[in-house]
Amino acid sequence: MRFSFREIPDAGRATVRARPIVDVVVEGLDIAPQACLLDTGATAIRLGAHVAELCGINAGKSLETKLAVGGSLVTARMAVVSLQVTSPTDTHEWSAPVWFCEPWTPAFGLLGLTGFFDQFHITIAACEEWLELTPVNA
Amino acid sequence: MSENTAACHVTIAGKPFDLRRSDVLKALRNADPEPISSHFVVIGSSRFPPKQVIGEITGLDRADFTTHQARRTLLRLGFTAGRRGSSSRPALARAEAPDESLAERMRAFTGEWIAVRDDEILRASSTPQALVRWLGKHGQKADSVFRVPEDDLAASGLAPL
Repeated sequence: MRFSFREIPDAGRATVRARPIVDVVVEGLDIAPQACLLDTGATAIRLGAHVAELCGINAGKSLETKLAVGGSLVTARMAVVSLQVTSPTDTHEWSAPVWFCEPWTPAFGLLGLTGFFDQFHITIAACEEWLELTPVNA
Repeated sequence: MSENTAACHVTIAGKPFDLRRSDVLKALRNADPEPISSHFVVIGSSRFPPKQVIGEITGLDRADFTTHQARRTLLRLGFTAGRRGSSSRPALARAEAPDESLAERMRAFTGEWIAVRDDEILRASSTPQALVRWLGKHGQKADSVFRVPEDDLAASGLAPL
């Protein structure tokens, strides 16, 4: 599945930057796929707690921890959820642990190593502004 | 006459109305724009179906007048009207600039949550909950939902230097 980078305006500047973003359907909420940034520095998938609320996910307190996101500590609760990415030609669905964080300052979800990078062979061609995902079980 | 005091006397569905631009702006200030199927008018910061606007300000049943009547009336009040194209026309805009790229059109919504489909900004809201409610209410499906980053921190998720 190949995706073009997403052009996003640079805040406070006249420039536009293309970023490696893919849209992920969380728990079947397909009317509102969540834009997520591929983040090789993240150890796991991190989304805002509002996503859990929107999807009706009960992220239990027993799996609560503190994480550093964006330079500040957030409360994160984990749940294993279904995720789906769709390209014009293909769809791939899998289950993965996701940390739902509050407060959440990033504009996008963050796709990290566990649950995302370990699910695909990934090519990121920043020079040509595209990325490609091939599911490891394909 | 200044733009905001524009007024007109119209007959719609056999009933006379004295309409003022300022009244339309006031009545639609907190209205929830319905999805655009073809024609739209720009009221304040959003695009509305012309029949929704005329229905709201006159109380008439929308079956009692045509889109063309509604559009013509709103043009007389000085509002911008347009028609959604089959390709890259935005469904929602803060300013009329149809040739701008999607990324450039996002700037008007910095800090807000937007729902995007193809090359269109379907809807912007201050919260993701309100955005998803709107999508569900109007049977709309977005390709992508996110907040237009207001600073580098929001854009990258990285720690500040």
